[in-house]
Amino acid sequence: MRRMLGLREAGVYYALALLVAALTVITAALGRPSYLSPVNLINILYQTAPVAIMGVAMTVVLITGNFDLSVASVAALAAAVNILVIDHVGFWAAMGVSLATAGAVGVLNGVMVELVGINAFIVTLGTLTAIRGLVLVLTDGRSLMVRTPAALEAMTNFESGRAAGLPLPIFYMAGFTLLAWLLLRFTTAGRRLYAAGGSPEAARLAGINVRGYKLGAFVLSALAAGFAGVLYASRFGAMNPTALQGEELTVIAAAILGGTSLFGGAGSVLKTVAGALVLYTLTNGFNVLNLGANYQGLIEGSVLIAAAAIYTVGGRRRRPRHSAGPPPGAPDAHQAQSQPAVL
Amino acid sequence: MSSTPQPLLSLERLGKIYPNGTAALRGVDLSVGPGTVHGLLGANGAGKSTLIRILCGATPATTGTIRWRGAAVLWPHPARARAAGIATLHQQIPLVGALSVRENVFLGQRGYWRRGREERWRLSRLMDSIGYHLPAEAPVAALAIGERQMVGILQALAADAQLIVMDEPTASLAAPERQLVHRAIRRLAAEGRAVLFVTHFLDEALALTDALTVLRDGAAVISAETAAVDEAALAAAIAGRPIHRTARAAARAGAEVVAEIDGLRSRGHLAPCTLRVRAGEVLGIAGFLGSGRSELLHAIFGADRAARGAVRLLGRTVPRSPGASVRAGIALVPEDRAAQALVPGLPLWQNITLAHLARFSRWGVFPQGQLEREAAAGAVRRLLIKARALDAPVGELSGGNAQKVSIARWLCGPTRLLLLDEPTAGIDVGAKAEILDQVRALAASGVAVILVDSELKVLLEEADRILVMREGAIVAERLAAQTDEAELIRLAAGAAAGLRRPETLQ
Repeated sequence: MRRMLGLREAGVYYALALLVAALTVITAALGRPSYLSPVNLINILYQTAPVAIMGVAMTVVLITGNFDLSVASVAALAAAVNILVIDHVGFWAAMGVSLATAGAVGVLNGVMVELVGINAFIVTLGTLTAIRGLVLVLTDGRSLMVRTPAALEAMTNFESGRAAGLPLPIFYMAGFTLLAWLLLRFTTAGRRLYAAGGSPEAARLAGINVRGYKLGAFVLSALAAGFAGVLYASRFGAMNPTALQGEELTVIAAAILGGTSLFGGAGSVLKTVAGALVLYTLTNGFNVLNLGANYQGLIEGSVLIAAAAIYTVGGRRRRPRHSAGPPPGAPDAHQAQSQPAVL
Repeated sequence: MSSTPQPLLSLERLGKIYPNGTAALRGVDLSVGPGTVHGLLGANGAGKSTLIRILCGATPATTGTIRWRGAAVLWPHPARARAAGIATLHQQIPLVGALSVRENVFLGQRGYWRRGREERWRLSRLMDSIGYHLPAEAPVAALAIGERQMVGILQALAADAQLIVMDEPTASLAAPERQLVHRAIRRLAAEGRAVLFVTHFLDEALALTDALTVLRDGAAVISAETAAVDEAALAAAIAGRPIHRTARAAARAGAEVVAEIDGLRSRGHLAPCTLRVRAGEVLGIAGFLGSGRSELLHAIFGADRAARGAVRLLGRTVPRSPGASVRAGIALVPEDRAAQALVPGLPLWQNITLAHLARFSRWGVFPQGQLEREAAAGAVRRLLIKARALDAPVGELSGGNAQKVSIARWLCGPTRLLLLDEPTAGIDVGAKAEILDQVRALAASGVAVILVDSELKVLLEEADRILVMREGAIVAERLAAQTDEAELIRLAAGAAAGLRRPETLQ
């Protein structure tokens, strides 16, 4: 129990709480509008939604021991496709086409990594570049706009509509996160995903379809990116070809802030969402405090490294308690004999 | 303690209590003289690894003194022990796979420049000194495990180590590789270097060492000249209780055929193999390392994607994938339990239920933690797995217990054919007996077992029939009752005693 509340396990929640508290105190001291106002908090949640949705799927990819750099390009592609077809086929069909396009990229990523056997970093670096290129080709380098008023209205309803006073994207984020959390926590598929990432060979020899799960994670990631792209297109009813450029790094940063291991086998989607919230709270704080946007990257990067340092050092300190003796797998753990708690 | 020249290393009342209160060593005395081979034996968890970690400077002792050439020393860091002249070869020797043998041997050397020619010359002298030659420029990744051990030994020699500590160097080696390591150790001793040799093999310890120390529960229970002890005394000292070997029930010749394997082959690894296993039968596979034993098991299990051929279980063809095999009732206990069997991120109980998770799940989708824990607790009891708790991470289990978990996984489902790949390698006598008991019990309950083991004695005792493999093919079949170790070695090595001949690949 103590470990569950420790810095390593719950650090990202503390960071978020600390950040919000600090900003609240500072805004109050400076006599600015209260940071904790519902309007501001809702605004942060709303802004976080697309990155959090991609981050949740990214976490699943990272749990399987892979890596997906292509999400922002895929989101941009989905947005472009969405705007290109929506005038002709209507909102829902356009959404379907966008998601199918994104899913196809996910299949491509997965097949290249799992069936051809190329490293995930290289494959998705390739699709990151190539798909952005495809967006430029599709848009001919110009901004795209939705022309049909009916389509535009459907988009606005989808993206800017409210339920219970909250913008809909907050519900999309919450719903998707909850679904992913339930999947990972309570289903056989979730257990097998962790096993496939934690030790692919052991999982394979336990009869788990490791390739299938890893490939599926890529498809999920691409679909989430596609959905984020549709949200983006719907927000503005338009897009320019460089939209969302570099956003993949924010997505990965959110997962790392949430303590997801880059080596697979560990990670929590809830913490990734908290990580995304930390990043957007920082951004929002800079705006509220009227600090120059120039400092933003510097601070965000430092926070990321500090978080990773805490996870790494915290993990190192925790380990000796369990295996002060030999490394895992060595045939001579002293506890085994000296504390024989035969169950 | 003997009156012979001053010992190179002596430990006096060495004790170690870990921060969590575990007493791993309780005052151990041990001394190693120059030019001698000293055996260190003990069950898993007896304190051997702790002793070695203290010796190589990885962890400090709580009480007691280490004397090196007569002077009390303190090694706060492994580098200091190494500088003093102690080299430690762990079971998994950390070598850089992409670098050559030569580069690995001289990896720890000081200096800024690579001196290829000088190194090649020194390497060939070192190889002469142990009487074994490896290709100097071959990448280490391409070497067999036995050859890697030799690279480790060469590394120790390159650092001019006076005492070489070897942690079960032969655990995963087949007979010829083991002989190589033995020969190298004898030559080291003849040169005046000392070797502290950890092993689970009693015959090996008796044949190779000059003196022996047996640890049990952190204390030395035997400390004697090797000539003064025998195998029975060692086994009793290690286990702390007499070990009973239960007689195996006679094979049921008329039992139904569980598995039919026809023309199973894999390019470059396995010549077409055809075999039958009956219910309750233990089929042993003998053969040297690299003879295709593991490859055969992996092919049967569907884990070798390149394998072709038919596997039928109770008359029904099993599709070629691990998943289909598991569902059909085929189980594989792989050779490397750390890398191939256990998932480090999952707790003990989830590792046990991993393969048959759907059986413990509502609608096959939602795992029921309570059912899983009950099944895991049952398996833990049945296999006498020693662990802190059901939630313990599997990384902290000792070798024997880790192996039991790997077997326990298959007791959670309807296993009809059990494939065991070196289930007793690197495991102490007590756990080994318990595992073999379990295998016997499974066979008695009608499971067909295929057992690969480098220890021929185990095969002769446990198996009904023994197939001998050589260079990827089954070259002979014997009834266990009608053969002996000498014949099996002869068959496995080929008629021309060890010479590899192409015609053996039929």
